[in-house]
Amino acid sequence: MTDNKNPLSPHLQVYRWHVSSLLSITHRISGIINLFALILIFIWLIFLSFGENNYELFLFIINSFIGKFILIGFSWSMSFHILSGIRHLIWDMGYGFEIKTSNISGIIVVISSLAATTIFWLLGRGII
Amino acid sequence: MNATRKWILHRVSAVILAPLFVWLYFSFISLSTRDYLEAIYFFKSPIFEIFTITLFIVGFFHAKISLNEIFEDYIHNKKIKDVANILALILSIIVPAVILILLIYKI
Repeated sequence: MTDNKNPLSPHLQVYRWHVSSLLSITHRISGIINLFALILIFIWLIFLSFGENNYELFLFIINSFIGKFILIGFSWSMSFHILSGIRHLIWDMGYGFEIKTSNISGIIVVISSLAATTIFWLLGRGII
Repeated sequence: MNATRKWILHRVSAVILAPLFVWLYFSFISLSTRDYLEAIYFFKSPIFEIFTITLFIVGFFHAKISLNEIFEDYIHNKKIKDVANILALILSIIVPAVILILLIYKI
């Protein structure tokens, strides 16, 4: 690619925030966070291969306050990225481009990602 | 890889990934309250092993394509961008390869 003087997108610090732009960048950020979640699962498997004593340490870390905070954060980024991804797939099929529809679908994604995180965590930890 | 194929594979990988990611992350959360033997027992199942390795291969493929796109948008220095893309490629090969070895040689 040759260098040119055209303005480069995206100008995150320049544009006024809208539902569309906010969710677009959040989709990317949550995707990157998901990469870290996958790397955590990778580390989990590495620890499993190291045997029982080392695994105790791993369990201690992920069940600490900060550990749980990160695990819940990963649950949210996973929920959000998948739901937002479904919204993107629907766009790819050619539906839902009207500003009003896209704002509503965006808000639905945010609310349902929070609900999904709550249900996911409570079920996963065996609380309900 | 041409842009259209990349675009299609990105979507296809996303659809494969979503259920696998939810499944393994949920299992991980559940097993975080259990002990070592239960976690080991979980990976004794051949189907779960196949799901896991598929998740890592498809997941890091999806991540690599996505990172390429993000670097394209935010890294304006071509040299740094090339290095970043190579690092993404290496990561997307090494991690699934290690998982494959771990699962083959039993955790």
